[in-house]
Amino acid sequence: MRRIIGYLVLISLFFGWALAQENIKWGDDGSLTIITQDDHEEITIPADQVGTLFGPGEQPFAGQRIAITVNTGGPKGGISGPLHQLRPAWEQLTGAKLDIVEMPLPEQLPTTINDLRLGLNQFDGFIEGAWYMGEYITPGFIIPIDDYIADPRFPHWDPNWMPPSLRNIYTWENKFYATLNDSDGQVLYWRNDILSDPEWQAKYKEEVGSDMPFPVKTWDDVIAISKFFNGKNWDSNDPDPDSGVVLHFKVNAQGHFHFMTMSASYVVRPGDTVDRCTNNYWFDPATMEPLINQPGHVKALEKLQELAQYGPEAQAAWDLTEGWDYFMRGKAIFTFSWGDVGALVQDPTRSKIQGKLGASIVPGSTDVYNMCSNAWETLDEPNVVGNTVGGSWQGIISSRTPNPETVYSLYSLMATAPVHSWNTQRGWTGVDPGVSIDFLPPNGTATLEGYEAAGWNPDDVKFYTQAYYDNFYAKTMMPYIRINGTEEYWRALDQNLSEAMIGRMTPQEALDRTAEAWKGITERRGLDLQLKQYQEAIGYHP
Amino acid sequence: MKMRLTATHIILTVLAFVVVLIWLLPFYWAVSVSLRPPSMTFTCKGLCFPYLQFPPTLEHWKTELSSREMLRALLNSSIIAFTASFFTLVLGTPAAYALARFRFSPRLVVIFAFVFCAILAFTAASFGVDWRLALLAAFVIFLGFAMTLGNRFEKRLGNEDITLWFLSQRFLPPIVTVVPFLLIMSQFKLIDTRLALILVNITFNLPFAIVIMRQAFIDLPIELEEAAMVDGASFFGSFYRVALRLTAPVMAATLMIILAFCWNELLFALNLGTLKAKTIPALLAGSASTRGIQFWFVAVRALIALIPPTILALLAQRYIVRGLTFGAVKG
Amino acid sequence: MRWNSPLKYVFLLPTVIWVLCFTMFPLLYSLRLSFFRVNIGQKDIFIGLENFARAFKDPNVWNAAKVTLTFVLVGVSIQLVLGLLFALLFNRALPGRNVLRTIMTLPLFATPIGVGYMFITIFHEEGGFIRASLGAKIPWLSNPNWAMVSVILVDVWNWTPFVFIVLLAALQSIPEEYYEAARLESSSQWELFRYITFPILQPSIILVLILRMSEAFKVFDIPFSLTSGGPGIATETFSMLTFNTYRRFFDFGYGSALAYLLLIAVAIIVTSFFGRIRQAYT
Repeated sequence: MRRIIGYLVLISLFFGWALAQENIKWGDDGSLTIITQDDHEEITIPADQVGTLFGPGEQPFAGQRIAITVNTGGPKGGISGPLHQLRPAWEQLTGAKLDIVEMPLPEQLPTTINDLRLGLNQFDGFIEGAWYMGEYITPGFIIPIDDYIADPRFPHWDPNWMPPSLRNIYTWENKFYATLNDSDGQVLYWRNDILSDPEWQAKYKEEVGSDMPFPVKTWDDVIAISKFFNGKNWDSNDPDPDSGVVLHFKVNAQGHFHFMTMSASYVVRPGDTVDRCTNNYWFDPATMEPLINQPGHVKALEKLQELAQYGPEAQAAWDLTEGWDYFMRGKAIFTFSWGDVGALVQDPTRSKIQGKLGASIVPGSTDVYNMCSNAWETLDEPNVVGNTVGGSWQGIISSRTPNPETVYSLYSLMATAPVHSWNTQRGWTGVDPGVSIDFLPPNGTATLEGYEAAGWNPDDVKFYTQAYYDNFYAKTMMPYIRINGTEEYWRALDQNLSEAMIGRMTPQEALDRTAEAWKGITERRGLDLQLKQYQEAIGYHP
Repeated sequence: MKMRLTATHIILTVLAFVVVLIWLLPFYWAVSVSLRPPSMTFTCKGLCFPYLQFPPTLEHWKTELSSREMLRALLNSSIIAFTASFFTLVLGTPAAYALARFRFSPRLVVIFAFVFCAILAFTAASFGVDWRLALLAAFVIFLGFAMTLGNRFEKRLGNEDITLWFLSQRFLPPIVTVVPFLLIMSQFKLIDTRLALILVNITFNLPFAIVIMRQAFIDLPIELEEAAMVDGASFFGSFYRVALRLTAPVMAATLMIILAFCWNELLFALNLGTLKAKTIPALLAGSASTRGIQFWFVAVRALIALIPPTILALLAQRYIVRGLTFGAVKG
Repeated sequence: MRWNSPLKYVFLLPTVIWVLCFTMFPLLYSLRLSFFRVNIGQKDIFIGLENFARAFKDPNVWNAAKVTLTFVLVGVSIQLVLGLLFALLFNRALPGRNVLRTIMTLPLFATPIGVGYMFITIFHEEGGFIRASLGAKIPWLSNPNWAMVSVILVDVWNWTPFVFIVLLAALQSIPEEYYEAARLESSSQWELFRYITFPILQPSIILVLILRMSEAFKVFDIPFSLTSGGPGIATETFSMLTFNTYRRFFDFGYGSALAYLLLIAVAIIVTSFFGRIRQAYT
């Protein structure tokens, strides 16, 4: 026992020593250099962006202690990583202590909501998925931050960097609640070296009888190309046959986002208005009738199943990392996923395909189902729909915290252009690009040199940033919902999709069952309340 | 038994070794994964021995063991497991002794009346009656009943029934009590405290301690205590100086087994400990993250969690059969 | 003798009160919740048996019941058979028998959730142990039936040692003379097992069966970490479903109703073996 205590003391001494290291440097011009925890990388924030709160020898929040919840990931994991890496620097800047409370993805919302409802108030802020926001806002659990954004004391970031689609999920009724962090949306990635290779294109024509539909325009093109490449050893990294596509469908691990991304182009009809059949996806905005089992959705799920069979069988039990690693090992032609992929591809310890990447906004469909006339419509040009699927994991502040400014000083530090870029350029941080400071001119203000300095391949950067620019500025966007109970609706969807993907249900059955579950959820949570929130969420005016 | 070197014997011996190797394999593989660089996690062929097939790295162990959250979880788990198992024995041993040595014979009807009145009070309270009033009324009804009608029924329960009642708590699926505990603990502002988890762990391990210690006391010849009492020792003295001393090895083993149970407890740890009182299993439960599972860290965490209870299993080896069958079989 | 001191109540009552407070009260509380629609922060609404009616109509509940039953029946049978075979195998002169036996007991106290995660690295379909070393490509976690097999296999790894050591202890308590007497009548190995070993082992086997079954019905940790109930809901056990219901969806009323259904199932198992339990423990 005594020996164990001895070891514990030794470990904590080591820890104390590690903490005593300098984690920040002040430049002569007033610029601030942050040193990250594990790799001791330096990030310099120019004087005019630091704000007036921090300064050499000042510790404005000395003695305070805040707790921020985030999904589990550890010091080098997605979304939680940046908190760990900045913690020593931020603690030295403010004098406050930061507790990083990591929780499994499906646990964060329930744990924090229970905490708030029971009045325990253990947490000061949350790094939440955007779809949780309704759950926090309706009872008044979080506070708007517009005043803080305008406050010159805090580190500087600009809401105008955001495209309207992203701004939409960082705000609620035109007030900002979340501070810029992550920008989630799925785009299509492919192996450009293979698809643009004339030899493979010739082989394709020989075998299939028509030209390879590249660059792809519709989901059918993706399916056709995946089918051709699946089972062939087109990549020389290993002697085994490779796949056409790779996705991930593990239950409760965000697999349903693949379906949302793909189905949007079969369902979301472009137009200037919002009604049942235009710019709408989830419910009938007049009655709250679930639309998830409409023919458009069902056909999209059939297409997803068709596509998935040209991927590895194991993907039914994979979560995102396992799917991404498969793609990065050079085992699949296509994947459609978040910005992490493009960034991780640049990491030579995990990827073998740097410089071979192609990316674009997801393809479309020429057939769109009209949910008013209950008929399919055929368009001349594919219906391409941008999306913000995913969490866009963002920092929000509890209305119960005694130290909101302390929390915001951390969030805003993470949102400054240098830190944000540092985050987005490293794949493991899980922070993905989507705002103008991430895009190359003329779309934004980032520089190719900046990316190259972080180890990126210039061709990959161009594809990648253009794909995300196109996605977030798309003319038609998939409506994102953040109403009360979104987690519950989505989980029912996820579960049934997963059942369909392993063949235990047909697409029609799975989506019928989802619709049935949604009706129950709406009823239990109160139809009127849900309807009102949904109408607000998609901007429907009866 | 005699050693006979026949062909069957050799085959069976080899078979036994193979079985043991298979059972050890998962441990070995986790160690191997924890030492591999991430890119080798799923690309290593064969048995993947460190040094032979890849250069081992302690990087993941270092990262995990220097994370503030991991250290806190280790500390929490240790404090909770030690305190809870100690107090389980403190509460359970005297009760076990009483059940082994004395006769209790409560009237069945009184117990029924008690349960009935408790339900009555509870129902009344849950429909809005002030809970103090409900409790008082129920108590009065109970007393009145026990003093009048209660005397008319002679059916009595014995020590065995009381023991079985304790044992039945152990069969209870803990999930039934999770929500009530959550709500009660939040009433008393005990959420996310070690105390809450200690209380829960004591509750769920008490039956275990009682049943197993009772058997140990029964196995002890009663003459020793009686001799002590003849020598002038008080009843308490004979319990303390004779019975407790002689059953000390069983007690130590029971303590270790309960320690392992407390260390492994997940369901309540997930619900009642989020930040300050997070234990190792609850920390492990969070290994699937926003961006997927990092197997190299998961292997390290799993091994860190496994080591202490495994050591306890080794220490309590002699009593492990008795422990896991609640004293019904002596190994 | 003084074996009737009033002190006996001082010894017993604190524990009785403790258990009453900490288990009976929560049990009643949970029973009450199951008749209500509960929304924290709002007033609970009494809805009678609606939660239970909903459970019987909920396909997820039937699925969970099926998964749990399969897990219990198949898993426990395999453990019994394997455990018995191992016990017979080890009940002979083996070099280093005690060391081997000790090694076999290691999984018993291993943190179940750690075990689940550990086995993901074994079953992983691209580079897990089975794929990397044995080369067999089996959809361990992505196919619903195989996922069930995986969960059961992990439980078998975890708990066969329990059956094994208990039965081994019982075997070693059989006096050698029994066999010697029987051998005089030239019984075959099978007859020795059938007429001597098995009847002596029988009470222990039934005891192990009860203990394993009542534990297996509550299974939570292993599917939670190994498959998180997937793929789809192919390995979502009753405890997991209950946990998800109240924890992820705050549906405390419905969750309590589900928990009570599980309690009833376990109670049926335990009471149907009540005679044997009474005999073993009193």
